[in-house]
Amino acid sequence: MTTLIETLLNGLLLGALYALFGLGLSISLGVMRMINIAHGDLIVVGAYITSVVVQATGVHALASLVLVVPVMFAIGWTLQRVLLNHVVGRSLFAPILVTFGLSIVVQNLLQEIFTADTRSLRDEYISQIGFDIGGVSVGLLPLLSAAVSVALFALTHVLIANTHYGRQARAVADDPSTARLVGVDDKNFFAIVTGFVLSAIAFAAVLYAIRTPFSPSAGPERLLYSFEAVVLGGLGNLWGTFFGGLIIGVAQLLGARVSSGLGPFFGHLVFLMMLLARPHGLFVRTVR
Amino acid sequence: MSDRTLAPEFVRDGGNFVRPIRALRLLNLVLPPAILANFIALPWYGDFVVQRLLVEVFTLFAIALAWNLLAGYGGMVAIGLHFFVGIGSYSLFAVSNVLHLNPWVALPIATACTAVVALISAWPMFRLSGAYFAVGTWVLAELARIAMLNIGWLGAGAGMPLDMISTFDRWSRNAYVYWSALAVGAGSLALAVVLLRSRLGLALVSVRDSEAAALASGVPVGRAKFALWVIAASITGTAGAVSYISTLQVTPDASFSLNWTAAAIFIVVLGGIGTVEGPIIGTFVYFVLREAFAGFGSWYFIGLGSLAIVTMIVAPGGAWSLISRIKKIDLFGIRRRMPAVAVQPDAPKAS
Repeated sequence: MTTLIETLLNGLLLGALYALFGLGLSISLGVMRMINIAHGDLIVVGAYITSVVVQATGVHALASLVLVVPVMFAIGWTLQRVLLNHVVGRSLFAPILVTFGLSIVVQNLLQEIFTADTRSLRDEYISQIGFDIGGVSVGLLPLLSAAVSVALFALTHVLIANTHYGRQARAVADDPSTARLVGVDDKNFFAIVTGFVLSAIAFAAVLYAIRTPFSPSAGPERLLYSFEAVVLGGLGNLWGTFFGGLIIGVAQLLGARVSSGLGPFFGHLVFLMMLLARPHGLFVRTVR
Repeated sequence: MSDRTLAPEFVRDGGNFVRPIRALRLLNLVLPPAILANFIALPWYGDFVVQRLLVEVFTLFAIALAWNLLAGYGGMVAIGLHFFVGIGSYSLFAVSNVLHLNPWVALPIATACTAVVALISAWPMFRLSGAYFAVGTWVLAELARIAMLNIGWLGAGAGMPLDMISTFDRWSRNAYVYWSALAVGAGSLALAVVLLRSRLGLALVSVRDSEAAALASGVPVGRAKFALWVIAASITGTAGAVSYISTLQVTPDASFSLNWTAAAIFIVVLGGIGTVEGPIIGTFVYFVLREAFAGFGSWYFIGLGSLAIVTMIVAPGGAWSLISRIKKIDLFGIRRRMPAVAVQPDAPKAS
């Protein structure tokens, strides 16, 4: 029984990290109606940048965020300005295919620069700290990841609800052309949004890199987990994405208990089954 | 419906597109059979290396054509099309090995299996649309890949060999694989042309141009997309199965590899999305690039990816759009034109 509770709890904590993967995807889908196929690869880019910073400066991976977040913001801003603004809202396939090409380019660049070997920023100290809550053991790192994830979701919520940028985001999401009419500089605004998305990715990337070894080809899996979280939560539903992530995390760890190789399989399976049961996401009441 | 049913003057009148049927009737009658005959005769004069390459060319062409039918005509971008490559090849190997069947007898069974899987998979997939459908199909492919990795009697991670192939000598094995690949390539092209000339094709083109308008004019959009999904899946599964008879071994990581879909996407994007001519040019360009630059490893893929990105931004219609900008050609007689003259006098009578 305790092992089951332990699995559930750890599944929720892992799910919070997946939710953090999905946060950026949810924002770019909600605001720009655009899916970035390279989303997972950008998470891996974040992990590699962290490892470079850690190697060069010797600081702790978590401390490197001070540098990694602005760098990722700059990458996101530039990416949107130089490339993605050409395809936003143009057609169904333009954004998908351009970011698909980007995904291939990024994966192979990483492989060329860092080789195909796996890397890890595993921190023996943090990874070994755990708490014993009534016989259920929980690691510090998963707790920390979940806390960061909740904090970033809350921050995004506040930003969207209360700030000028948030109002622009809601306006563009509702009706891009009208938003442009009333003075939203959408090209520049999209660049800022993608910058923000990549900053969120930076947090996800660092936590992920400490938790799991990564390699240049690890991106697509991250994209799929993010995607599942977003779809389960429902389009444009920020906290829905968070709960979607939790479901995938729990499904994976419960699946891994059935057979160690089947964790992601059960995640995907639960996703497909939920899709049949609630095609518009868990938290959408009205049919669009 | 199509302008074939209209009086000839309309065809001449609308005349923006030159049709070889009209312009080069003799060449049109002679050339395709000549090319086909030449390809059919190849095993008797060509060597194994050329045959192997052409097996890849024909099967990949068929997969790219299927991807293009889905994306370019049905508005269904499927990043997980490799799901059906895996299903087709695994069905063929499983059926042939378990029933001790000749692989070429098992081939139609594999096609049927793929069609059945496509029927079933449409149930969850058609809950999604647009970008969600695109990635959703990828989830499906990943699900199947992990499943195969864990199913013992299908060889798990190591996959399985094609046992019955040892009953054939080397020449016949190569020739049969080659001819089946040729049949898949030419057959899928013929199927696509017939399909696009049919009522279903008209429905699909209307969906491509505007799904909302198509729905409003009474086009059964859902049914058309569903039929296209099953057809494209069957083409892909058959091509995948033939490709793996040639390879002699299926494995989960290779058969359910994103590389299949990636190649199809490159071919279609470079050649021209939403045309039948596009994948032909695209396949040619893709293999020329591959044979020339594949030795550069990662840099080859970086170049290919960048080329696709630039093409999507600068010339979203691909190479074929550049060609048809100079001279409007409709190789396969698929385009439909508004009978402008016929409509005008009728217009006032309406209502």
